[in-house]
Amino acid sequence: MTAEAPYPVAVRGPRAAGPPLLQVQGLTRHFMVSGARIDVLHDCTFDVARGEVVAIVGQSGSGKSTLLNVLGLLDKPSSGSYVFDGVETTPLREGRRSRLRGDGIGFVFQQFHLLERRSALANVSVPMVLAGVPVLRRRSRSKELLESVGLGHRLNSQPHQLSGGEQQRVALARALSREPALILADEPTGALDATSSTMIMDQLIDQSRVRDAAVVVVTHDPKVAERADRVVELVEGRTR
Amino acid sequence: MLRSLTAGIVLAFAGSRANVARTILSCAGIVVGVGALIMVVTAGDLGQRYATAFSEANAGRAATMEVSVYGEVTDLGAFEEDLGRAGALETTVYNRMEASPPLRKGDQVLQDVSFVGVDATLGDIRRINMAEGRWFTEADLESRSPVLVVNQALAAELGDFTDIQIGTDQWTDVRIVGVSQSSTFDSDWYSAYLLRAPLTGELVFGSSWAPEDDAASQVTYLARIDPADSAAEEMFGGGEFTDRLLSASWRWGLDEPENLMVYRSDYAETTDELIGYLSLGLIGVAVITLTTGLLGVLNVGLVTVRERRRELATYRALGASRFTLFVAVVMEAVVVAVVAGLIALALSWALVAAGGAVIGRLMWLPPDITVAVPPSAALVGLGSAALVGLLAGIIPAIRALRASVVAGLRE
Repeated sequence: MTAEAPYPVAVRGPRAAGPPLLQVQGLTRHFMVSGARIDVLHDCTFDVARGEVVAIVGQSGSGKSTLLNVLGLLDKPSSGSYVFDGVETTPLREGRRSRLRGDGIGFVFQQFHLLERRSALANVSVPMVLAGVPVLRRRSRSKELLESVGLGHRLNSQPHQLSGGEQQRVALARALSREPALILADEPTGALDATSSTMIMDQLIDQSRVRDAAVVVVTHDPKVAERADRVVELVEGRTR
Repeated sequence: MLRSLTAGIVLAFAGSRANVARTILSCAGIVVGVGALIMVVTAGDLGQRYATAFSEANAGRAATMEVSVYGEVTDLGAFEEDLGRAGALETTVYNRMEASPPLRKGDQVLQDVSFVGVDATLGDIRRINMAEGRWFTEADLESRSPVLVVNQALAAELGDFTDIQIGTDQWTDVRIVGVSQSSTFDSDWYSAYLLRAPLTGELVFGSSWAPEDDAASQVTYLARIDPADSAAEEMFGGGEFTDRLLSASWRWGLDEPENLMVYRSDYAETTDELIGYLSLGLIGVAVITLTTGLLGVLNVGLVTVRERRRELATYRALGASRFTLFVAVVMEAVVVAVVAGLIALALSWALVAAGGAVIGRLMWLPPDITVAVPPSAALVGLGSAALVGLLAGIIPAIRALRASVVAGLRE
């Protein structure tokens, strides 16, 4: 028995054509804590197409973040299948998972997770450093991305010199720097005021549309969920 | 792999630049340790060069054997040939004149001049530092008067070198061609090298000299042999070289084997051994200091890896492989250590330059002995710094790899 969700559940928006970018089939995740097994995800099944914006909603402890970690290849499922961009990821070793993550997935975190004492430009450059992009190219690309999120005038500002909304826009630019096929956003507006939240969601959706990237947003915020093409609800670790 | 390595190095440099306070804190211990190591190697190198120069100037280059015959040598030519057969690369007579003749300049007569009769080859066997003029040459053998090289004390006493005579049964004009730098041993008294020539045989060998037979008694020679020669291994006794000479001693008329005495006169090997022990002790102190520095960097590394869990997890989320992260953390420690090594090198350089200026005022150094940080010390210092960084970075790097990415992102 679950409480009535304050947002439209399983709203079917217009889905992009073509094969799904990610397919989750019968996925489970459990943890062993002091010898006791705790099942967090049960038999989750859903898919996301390219260019689609999907919101994952659910109560605290429903497994949203665990699911996002599995989708972001930061965690491995206990069983089931997760195909990302045509690649079955569950048997992959750490090195291949890191490459796949770096090449195909961008993250936006609730607390931004920008590197302190580095400029906005340097923060946006990090994924390109990891990808071995030459220094001049990554500088021009970082600049271009920061300009595209309206931060062309804050290139050399460090995180502590930026507002929460600006920091999240830097994080968004960083997530887009490798042109990922999938953007995973974990409560991207959770630390922002209403105006900044709207701006961030506008930019997240706009940028994903422009780049044909799928977006999976974990959120508590009904207004954010409303912006998605589709909502996947997690109830006690099961997708609905 | 290469991509991960490059990315790790770039992140390491960026990390070191961004966290200046952490970098400086880690540097301090290594600067002291590496500085100590550089100073030890520099001191060892200087000591080695000075001791070698001192040994070469006063006792001969490695390996110089002093050969004395306390009886009569009936054929000096055959004796010298046999020195060559026994392994000598160069030989010179080295006879101190027991009853040194006086020198006279005008009315002034100097009685207490210590003369040594030598060949021009002494210049190859010993390091002769000339203060003025030149050392003997083959052309001097043709000189119509005895040829001398005097030490600085005697030169100062004589003033100019005109109208100088040596007295035996009569006064004979001498020619002084050079002034050798006074050594520690003879700075206070007068000494002179007298070139052995047909004209000076009696001066060099004394009254026992028989020019018609080329014979003399109580002779001393210096023979330089290859330092790798097994005969050079015996610092005292010189048994092997003695045996080689004795095998044909009938050619030059040695009456009793006991009348032949050979020993190695240069002390390069002893000096090397002594400096080796000294360096070992000093290196031990430097290694202890360096280890303290290493523990400091390790400690800072472990603390910062703990503090940076979120940052490191963010790197992983952005696509950094475990290897990239490992390289980044290790290289940060290496970068810090090498920066510390460069600082230590600069400080040592300045300290040695200042010390060299002071030493230069307090004591005389041969012109080819400069007080400076040798390249070997710089290499050892920077190499040790990099090694310390590597060792100090590995444990924090392993700890960074073990940390959970998901937990790190939640912090």
